Amino acid sequence: MGEYDLHSLILACDFRVDDVDRMWAWLKKHREPLASIGAHHVVLYTSLWEPGRVLVTIGIHQAGSIREVLRSPAIFEWFDISGADDIPPVFGGEVVEKIDLQGPTPEDHVGRVVVGVMASVDDVSALMDKVHDGVERFKRGGVRKVWVYQALDDGREVMILQEIEDELTARRWIDHPDAAAEWMSKAGFGAYPTQFVGRFAHLMSVGDGG
Amino acid sequence: MFVCLCNGVTSHVVTEVVANGAKTSKQIAEACGAGGDCGRCRRTLRAMIEAHSAVNGCAPETVSR
Repeated sequence: MGEYDLHSLILACDFRVDDVDRMWAWLKKHREPLASIGAHHVVLYTSLWEPGRVLVTIGIHQAGSIREVLRSPAIFEWFDISGADDIPPVFGGEVVEKIDLQGPTPEDHVGRVVVGVMASVDDVSALMDKVHDGVERFKRGGVRKVWVYQALDDGREVMILQEIEDELTARRWIDHPDAAAEWMSKAGFGAYPTQFVGRFAHLMSVGDGG
Repeated sequence: MFVCLCNGVTSHVVTEVVANGAKTSKQIAEACGAGGDCGRCRRTLRAMIEAHSAVNGCAPETVSR
């Protein structure tokens, strides 16, 4: 999470790959197909505790037809090269708010731990009110950033990326999240992946964004 | 979440189909197209059926997946 990640429209996918480095090398060689689907940045997070699990976010210029993007051969080829026999669900959404609780983080800050959650919540507006009310508690819990995205296809669906001070603090936050962070208890149900706990690993600019 | 990339079917749609009685990925495909082409999203479809069953206390069917 950093200034590079300020895209407002995002595709995100949490899945397992055979070889993270191989997949990233492949992506770097295939910027053109990514540019052709409107991508401008790709960010890769790798799981701290589950080898091979990754969270990938792709910033895109405009919503256009997300369905057309997702069915493009480039996307399927990407999953193929990753060794993902099963295609994971893909979150497509736009930013609701990015709350930086402790000021900007340098892009090369190596200690950053990210907890990502995709979930369905009762009411996104009410959720944001609760988050704002709980900002000081979040800070005390070691949360540095809370970025909230709302799905384009489902107004109750969100993806929330939380940057936490370090691994120990992240573990504490996961075990005892603030009551306002209702999303923490809603991950891992149905189509939604379990909480992703990882570190920023790579960033790539694509097309004019590079 | 976009569950079936081939046909652009979302989890919202699949949830409705399951709530309306679909108990297998084949029935989901027949109802909304999800999983009907490459079939690589069927694991997710099954997870959604199981989640619905867990909430509603009924066992999903184990055939025709």
